[in-house]
Amino acid sequence: MDKHADSDAVAAAIADAAADCGISLVASLPDGWITPLIERFDTDGRFRHVPVNREESAIGLCSGAFFSGVGALALMGASGFLTCIYAITKINYTYQIPLLIGITLRGRPGDRAKFHQSNGLYLEPVMRAIDIPFVAIERRADIARLSPAFRHSRVMARPVVVGFTREVLYGEA
Amino acid sequence: MNVVECFRLLTSRMRNEIVVTSAGNCSELWWEITRETERVFYLDASMSLASMFAAGIALGTNRNVVALSGDGAFCMNPGMLMVERALALPNLKHFVLSNRCYGSTNELPLRFVEHADYAAMARAAGVERVYGFATVEGLGQALDEILDVPGHVFAVLDVEPLGRHLPSPPLDGPELKFRFGRYLERVVGRAIFDAPL
Repeated sequence: MDKHADSDAVAAAIADAAADCGISLVASLPDGWITPLIERFDTDGRFRHVPVNREESAIGLCSGAFFSGVGALALMGASGFLTCIYAITKINYTYQIPLLIGITLRGRPGDRAKFHQSNGLYLEPVMRAIDIPFVAIERRADIARLSPAFRHSRVMARPVVVGFTREVLYGEA
Repeated sequence: MNVVECFRLLTSRMRNEIVVTSAGNCSELWWEITRETERVFYLDASMSLASMFAAGIALGTNRNVVALSGDGAFCMNPGMLMVERALALPNLKHFVLSNRCYGSTNELPLRFVEHADYAAMARAAGVERVYGFATVEGLGQALDEILDVPGHVFAVLDVEPLGRHLPSPPLDGPELKFRFGRYLERVVGRAIFDAPL
């Protein structure tokens, strides 16, 4: 299988896991690592996929969708997640609204993009600073952790982040 | 138009709508006039996301969902118009209260507004039903059409600054969440808090 086929297979597995745990709305902004995943959500009839103008809009839309009884996933890159601290802390923390947020783990060793190295330095410390639960998806078997992460956000009435490594998304781990 | 008269009209005519109010004067005025604690989500903790939050709610109901944003909030995220247009939700009605200032922060002027035309921005984003009102009478004449005819609406309400300070709704976040959510469970019939985990 070529790399693209591997990415497509991983995207299908993530979409299956999302559907199995009750997610039917996905709001996204692209990161190069997750374009096959976004394309999957866009074409998979089990989901309503909403491309948004900025990552904060995904937080707003998915938080409102909680009141529709709809399971939602806000999907974005690491940099976009860092722009959402205001929305997350003001909406989800103030009103205790659960939400599953999927991000890329940019800036880890192996990411050759120099402009993402700040994420390697600050992404996880920022998540710890706001006490947001974080589940790393580092191997393909970890995709099964999506469901308990989603359920955990509901139980604790707070957002939970699942972070995908490059290796997982490219089918290399 | 006078902002209190404008809100008296909105609150008196929007009897069956689900309402989301942005931070500042929108939340303060709705609370001041109605004291409602169920069908209104006072999104007082956040600027610029009221219409996105309302859109998420509108996905799960046939009822009209009204978003009330200030123009300070609108200027923070005008790209919301493109998402609203793409969604094209027939029950999403977005009103922008244009008082040309940051109403709840001592009415500090909003510096961009003399060059900006919010209604034109909405039309440029492809929104088909765009309204602008400078009088309570004009708003009153069009309100039934806005609310009763299905289709996404973006409406600009040109109002004078309030000129005084109002308190925020005195509701804690979780209290607001449960009052609003239980109301929706009752009237929309969808499980929100009681969905199986």
